[in-house]
Amino acid sequence: MYKLTNEEVLELEKEALQVRRNVLRMIKASKAGHAGGALSSADIITALYFKIMRVDPKNPKWPQRDRFVLSAGHKCLALYAVLAEKGFFEKEILDTYGKLKSRLPGHPDMYKIPGVETNTGALGHGLSIAGGMALGVRMDGYDSKVYVVMGDGELAEGSNWEAAAACSHHKLDNILVFVDRNRLQISGPTVKVMSYEPLRARWEAFGWSVREIDGHNMREIVDNATDIPFEKGKPSLIIANTIKSKGLSFAEDKVNYHYWKATPEEIEQAEKDLNEIERRLANG
Amino acid sequence: MAEYEYKDPRKTFGEALVEVGEKYPEIVALSADSSKGSGMAPFHEKFPDRHFEFGIMEQGVIGFASGLATTGKIPFVAAIAPFVTARPFEMFRNDLGYMRQNVKVVGRCAGITYSDLGPTHHSLEDVAIIRTIPGVVVISPGDPVEIKKVVHAIAEHKGPVYVKIGSPKMPVLFDENYKFEIGKGVVVKDGTDVTIMGIGTVFHKAYFAAEILENKGISVRLVNMATVKPIDKELIVKCAKETGKIVTVEEHYLIGGLGSAVAEVLAREHPTPMKMIGIDDQFASNGPYEELLGLYGLQSDQIADTVQKFVGK
Ligand SMILES: Cc1ncc(C[n+]2csc(CCOP(=O)(O)OP(=O)(O)O)c2C)c(N)n1
Ligand SMILES: [Mg+2]
Repeated sequence: MYKLTNEEVLELEKEALQVRRNVLRMIKASKAGHAGGALSSADIITALYFKIMRVDPKNPKWPQRDRFVLSAGHKCLALYAVLAEKGFFEKEILDTYGKLKSRLPGHPDMYKIPGVETNTGALGHGLSIAGGMALGVRMDGYDSKVYVVMGDGELAEGSNWEAAAACSHHKLDNILVFVDRNRLQISGPTVKVMSYEPLRARWEAFGWSVREIDGHNMREIVDNATDIPFEKGKPSLIIANTIKSKGLSFAEDKVNYHYWKATPEEIEQAEKDLNEIERRLANG
Repeated sequence: MAEYEYKDPRKTFGEALVEVGEKYPEIVALSADSSKGSGMAPFHEKFPDRHFEFGIMEQGVIGFASGLATTGKIPFVAAIAPFVTARPFEMFRNDLGYMRQNVKVVGRCAGITYSDLGPTHHSLEDVAIIRTIPGVVVISPGDPVEIKKVVHAIAEHKGPVYVKIGSPKMPVLFDENYKFEIGKGVVVKDGTDVTIMGIGTVFHKAYFAAEILENKGISVRLVNMATVKPIDKELIVKCAKETGKIVTVEEHYLIGGLGSAVAEVLAREHPTPMKMIGIDDQFASNGPYEELLGLYGLQSDQIADTVQKFVGK
């Protein structure tokens, strides 16, 4: 198992702060967006691109690359923020979010911006596509991995369970799924809207090897995600316990910030919140 | 009427799949508990490592096909027509169409060829719904020779394709010199009084109707309009100008099928009287296939009657 040094942890936390600043930059441009689920998955996606995945921003279609599939496409603010930070495209493009014909639509389009691998947004599609990618790179003899981020509310879509069965049936042990368990969806707490419990047992029953972590703890994310397959011949899954809108003091764990229509006061507060994180990180 | 050789469209598809499989190592076959019935057995035998079974999972299989295509594979997915079109429509739209993936979907036992199994197994809206997806090619080949040529053409074509085939044996109408090209209709027989545009599983019904009409002194231009999308606008307008009347024949709903596609062109470019032969807005009945076609006016003598009245000769 990979072990992050303290310096590496701090570095990743700084990257994640910058990613949150990029998210806020896009919200400032459009005054609205699916910030809640983006911020709950921001640490995971940052860790993937900055420590775990084998990608080359200068050669985004490199066949031996690792793939990232954002099954919950509405979290794309986090993906755009990370891709810009990683150098897949110019940061100025972030300021076009929400504008007519922006290259950064409200759900990602692989033909509009480099680094995006799939056109998601309709929940419940990502895992099948990721499974096909995992099968394809395996046929090619590449050791590439496929990483997926799903929402917890998204798990109610039956198509996910078709894909879950197929990934384990075809022994796709080059795939790692993160379930961003922020425990909220549009209408309220996920287990009240449509319960997925027992979450871990369900995935295990479908033939997956499962771990559970704190999805905001860089050490836990990286140490676990660099260790796949968890079991040979099985697809791997991490239940990441997270907080929706993580980083925004006024919005954390609040269902009505799923889609944030930002007031000027909230944006001001968000900036203060991120500056506070920066101060904390500067002090080690 | 001449003697015709009859061939199984699914077996023909399966033979062609092996041929293109030999030519293109990127081709893989995906099935949803449907491989034998779709003619995939020879492919499986020849390339066991390139055939993937997914069980009864038609939404999932479209997504997997999309993902495989992102890695340069050319997936052929074949299953019962409604279950690879209506059932996973959104996967078809987003994962294949919007993502522009090089996947070939083959719906078999299309139309009412699964006659006695009833409307759950009929596919009378596949062309209507799939042709709304930007960038997807929709083809309904008219005889076994064309099925083979279509499989070769779509293997070469880059992008998502939907092909529909039936299940009863079809007469071989064309010879090896027949030329199929995506997006091009073929004038099979020239004539001046009326153009009949037929397609797919009932193209041969239109073909024999044209013979009947010819014997009655009506000069029919017969067109095989196998590609419904992109539709051959030029040929449609040319036929409208030269014969003045157009009849379409298809084993599909009148809503959204070949007739609609032709009417969409003519309404904009050259309004022309039309007759559309197909199945009206209803769940089709059940029973023996040929009798069922007769119930909807799709037998050759019925088509000939309809055309004769329309022409007024
Ligand atoms: C098929 C489909 N149905 C509905 C929606 C609308 N929608 C967007 S986000 C969302 C809730 C998602 O909740 P969850 O998966 O928990 O993601 P979170 O925002 O909490 O990260 C819904 C219903 C959609 N995008 N796709
Ligand atoms: Mg959630």
